Amino acid sequence: MKRKIGCRWFGIASVGAVAILATSPPASAQQRGGDITVAQQAQPPSLDAMTTFAQAARNITMHVFETLYTRGETGAVIPELALDSSASPDQKTFTFHLRKGVKFHNGKEMTGADVKASLERYAEIGASAQLLAPVSGIDLPDPYTVVVHLNQPVPGFVDEISTPRAPMVIIPAEEAGKGPNKIALIGTGPYQFVDYKPDSYVKLKRFDDYVPNARFQGPDGFGGKKTPYFDTVTFRFMPESGARAAALQTGEVQALEQLAVTDADRLKADPNVKLYEMMPWAFQVFFLNANDGPTKNLKFRQAVNAALGNEEIMTIATDGLFRLTHGWQHPGTEYFAGDVGKDKYNLNNPELAKQLLKEAGYKGEPFTLVTDNSFKNDNDASVVASQQLQAVGINVKLQVADWPTTIATRQKPTGWNMFPIFIGIEPWEGPYSTTTFFTGKENWQQHPDEELEADAAKLNSSPALDDRKAAFAAFQKRLIDQVYAIKLGDLGIYQAARANVANYKPFRIPRMWDVWYK
Amino acid sequence: MANLILRRLASALPVLLLVSLISFVLIWLVPGDAAAELAGPSASAEELAHIRADLGLDQPVWIQALHWYRNLLHGDLGQSLLLGRSVAAAILERLPVTLSLTGFALVITLLFGIGSGTIAALKRNSWIDQAVMMTALVGLSLPDFWLGLVAIYVFSVALGWFPTGGFVAFGDSPLGWLQTTTLPAVALALTQTGLLARMTRSSLLEVLGQDYIRTAWAKGLPGRIVILKHALLNIAVPVLTVLGISIGILFSGAVVIESVFAIPGVGRLIIDAVLRRDLPVIQGGVLIVGVFMVAVNIAVDLLYAAFDPRVRHEH
Repeated sequence: MKRKIGCRWFGIASVGAVAILATSPPASAQQRGGDITVAQQAQPPSLDAMTTFAQAARNITMHVFETLYTRGETGAVIPELALDSSASPDQKTFTFHLRKGVKFHNGKEMTGADVKASLERYAEIGASAQLLAPVSGIDLPDPYTVVVHLNQPVPGFVDEISTPRAPMVIIPAEEAGKGPNKIALIGTGPYQFVDYKPDSYVKLKRFDDYVPNARFQGPDGFGGKKTPYFDTVTFRFMPESGARAAALQTGEVQALEQLAVTDADRLKADPNVKLYEMMPWAFQVFFLNANDGPTKNLKFRQAVNAALGNEEIMTIATDGLFRLTHGWQHPGTEYFAGDVGKDKYNLNNPELAKQLLKEAGYKGEPFTLVTDNSFKNDNDASVVASQQLQAVGINVKLQVADWPTTIATRQKPTGWNMFPIFIGIEPWEGPYSTTTFFTGKENWQQHPDEELEADAAKLNSSPALDDRKAAFAAFQKRLIDQVYAIKLGDLGIYQAARANVANYKPFRIPRMWDVWYK
Repeated sequence: MANLILRRLASALPVLLLVSLISFVLIWLVPGDAAAELAGPSASAEELAHIRADLGLDQPVWIQALHWYRNLLHGDLGQSLLLGRSVAAAILERLPVTLSLTGFALVITLLFGIGSGTIAALKRNSWIDQAVMMTALVGLSLPDFWLGLVAIYVFSVALGWFPTGGFVAFGDSPLGWLQTTTLPAVALALTQTGLLARMTRSSLLEVLGQDYIRTAWAKGLPGRIVILKHALLNIAVPVLTVLGISIGILFSGAVVIESVFAIPGVGRLIIDAVLRRDLPVIQGGVLIVGVFMVAVNIAVDLLYAAFDPRVRHEH
């Protein structure tokens, strides 16, 4: 009798186990191999990573090159090719210890000589060469130690050299002597360069001798412990958004750098496609000209701020993928300044705007809103804003032009009053890049502000973190009070991949390391 | 005939010079330069100035123009500011792509334009005539950009018959070339096919009413001889005129189709260069397009002479 009961329960348990195993999704073990194609809109203007800020270049070059320090998942500064660093008490000497045994794609080991040559090249031709302007000399006490001397204290020096905007990539010393776009594309990254066909694609292949950073458990932002699984990664340039979405649907491409919200809504029902939301991606901002026309008057700028209804603008400009936040750093990050300036955000108050216009003595002078037709969100934000501003009596002249024209126009001190832009990587990487828009001789509001300069100087030079945070909070308050720029909100994007692409995590570039086919 | 060619070539030189000068003036008038492309959306003015100096863009446009003409005299079209290669290499890589796409579209235009126009003329006032002309009108009216996208969704996504884009060279794989160029060539050809069909129909109707056609029918000649030998040959001149214009439109229309289907052709190269202010590529591209159009015009003139003995004897 006991045996019969035991057999029955064993049978039930076995059936149950089989049922559980049959219905549970199998664990997706990493699988090496396969080719993946990523579609992006634009082709890179250059693959010489030091020379360009373009996203289209960064998508590719951050797979091929690495830097001394880089940014983690939330923008925190993390070591990559450096083991660690230390600063002298006066913040004028920075010592970097390098990881040993890191290989370039040509088989050579990376040493201090390569780092020194790369930094010196960047100081000469790098797109953000001014970041290395304080460097007075670089010493190499041994092959794996680099000592950088500065002619003034720069507490944020490691932050600055970790920027992925136009990254200070480390290349072989023998390449570093070459001019812009003349280098062989040899880096230390998990994938190496194979081929570039302009207007068509860039092809990379796995670097089998890649030395991952063992100090990390796994990938972290642009760095961490990176493991390349694909045999090849091809970045294909497809200008038309609908065609990119179609290519993903048919499986001709397996990942998209960015998917239009309207296409994402359509593809949500496709079981072969997975969507990944990145929020926030960028700030959507209007910059105002405090030097010319009606926007020279603070009351007028306040009127513009009061008239704008951010929710309506962002809904249309972003097809609904946005959030309303006022701060010039992202919530949850180190320098987020809380509610500073929130009382002046998204006022959407036409009556207040009209009152302020009256106080400003506005007599209907033209208000030139210059926008570009290259980015849908810029164009749409401007169209909606112009209608809101016209509704309160502002004589808006909407000027739509292509990208180079708008850049050239807004660099002039006169001839424009407001322009839209979305800024992504600068606020993401911290306050230093954000403050550069409003300080220095070439500030975007065309009007130097001593208080902003002082706050930025404190941010750049204060050794204590709390002082730097206070400086940025004061900076944000001044910026918002003076209405040099109006932050509309944060916009998001969708990235997408085929459903058989495992472990994809959305980030500032479509990362093809620690990703594999199921 | 040699005189005709020499005269056309001689008159082409000032035309090409004028075209390139106008192009320089237009670029000079339009604000912006290639630094904006390298810099990205949020570069500071200082960063832009640095890039500008690296690229030599801090020189006035007229000095850049002088350098370009000086190099041109040595057969050098210069270096692209953004592609990292010579303009000549960039154009030569892409010219066969655009020519093959345009050529395929031209074949479609010729076959279906003349064919359907002929059928419509022969079946005048019948439902076939109405259907053909209605289709031609629709083809003329639809924007090729929209048509390209619709074709992708129907034939690539829904039916899976063709790829969504890209280009395979004929030399690499004839089948791959056919697969990657069919949809774009059809989208490109549709407008000109409609135009040619309507032109063919109206010209043929005029010719079919002539005495010599009536005589040919009266002699009992087979229909295909009457149509192919007597009627169609006599509409060759107006059709050639439309074709010459169509080739130009197909070549320039390739820009939009190349963008929709991600085809690395000359059209996309030039339009990207304009949008990015890559001055050497703009100048080189404009020159090549000019040379191409001059060649097309010479070819059309030669074909006039081939088809029309009166033109032959005049020259």
